Amino acid sequence: MAKIVGAMATTHTPGLLGWFKDAPEDQQEAAINAFSKMRAYMADRDANVMIVFSNDHLLNWPINNLPSYTVGIGSEHVGPADWYDSWLNQEEKYRVAGHPELARYIVNACAKKGLSTAHLRDMKFDDGISVPTCWLNPDNKMKLVPISINAACPPIPTPAEVYEVGKLMREVIQSFPSDDRVVLVGSGGLSHEPGGPRYFHIDDDFDQWFLDLMAEGDHEKVLRECTFEKMEEAGSGGTVELIAWILVMAATKGPATVLDYVKSYSWRCASGWVVWPKVL
Amino acid sequence: MGNVERVDKTLPTNEMVYYVRKDPELRKRWNTDREGVCREFGLSQIEIDALMGEPNPKILMDIGVHQYLIPHILRLTYGETGMTNTHPALTAYQKAFPDESKAAIGGSKWDLAEEKNG
Repeated sequence: MAKIVGAMATTHTPGLLGWFKDAPEDQQEAAINAFSKMRAYMADRDANVMIVFSNDHLLNWPINNLPSYTVGIGSEHVGPADWYDSWLNQEEKYRVAGHPELARYIVNACAKKGLSTAHLRDMKFDDGISVPTCWLNPDNKMKLVPISINAACPPIPTPAEVYEVGKLMREVIQSFPSDDRVVLVGSGGLSHEPGGPRYFHIDDDFDQWFLDLMAEGDHEKVLRECTFEKMEEAGSGGTVELIAWILVMAATKGPATVLDYVKSYSWRCASGWVVWPKVL
Repeated sequence: MGNVERVDKTLPTNEMVYYVRKDPELRKRWNTDREGVCREFGLSQIEIDALMGEPNPKILMDIGVHQYLIPHILRLTYGETGMTNTHPALTAYQKAFPDESKAAIGGSKWDLAEEKNG
């Protein structure tokens, strides 16, 4: 059966690709080093598949029809989507191998377990998938299964809900008959308010608190204290992307290792990176 | 209530931007026949007025445009690339939300007030 061999989480602010060099050099170095450590973590665990959980910024679905979860089932993924390419400074499209057998298995097995997911053969990518793909899988050695979560419009899944979905996804992935070695990646956050009145706002008190929670490794405490309201207060419509981290956390045990944290007004987002030494 | 919860999911503008962004012809028409595009998507006069000329992010937010889509409306209007804090889309935010912006980047190299004083 497939094995989950690792779990990690990263910010996906478009500044990490689109206007990376606009940030001070120490912030650039922190990002470069953190992503480098994440690549080494995957190599050490001999991973061959990345399942990236992110949020769709109203790209794949119009606002009148937003599924809570969408799985990309294509055999190849091409990104970024038109219109996002110049924004993400990717004039040349990246092409990454998909894993349609695993992706389709996830869709069907989740349905049998009561979780409805949409799926797309030609999923479009904005910063949510493009940032981790370009930084973590630059040479296309890993297969990619992208899974998006609705963090855009109410009702947004709560931390408790995504945690349960994370547990279910873990069971499903580990029941897929193959030798695949899978790393789960949560993509989103930290504090920011994309397109909101506080577009330039960063709440580093919240960020430090949240990263400390990750480092503490007490899942019940995370679910009890990291409420939707608290994330919204730290930056509406952006901070709540951290539900992708909480979903991935459901496949882990114990503390996360915080690789770094950057408060970057250039990127209009706080960036953070963690890996979990132990997965279930 | 967070700002993102103020969205009007049924507002025609929110559906229109989804389609305009991904269609090169509609993107071109955005700057040559914006009102015509808006009318084809059934926007109200209030929405059309808010989108003409130099759209104000605060007005767009007040009528229920999703906050994710407002920077895209501004990119359609001012240009796609280089979304640094000096891009007109971002200076439009500083003008529309001066207090919120000042609380974050007041006194920095991006602060429009500093630029004027400097």
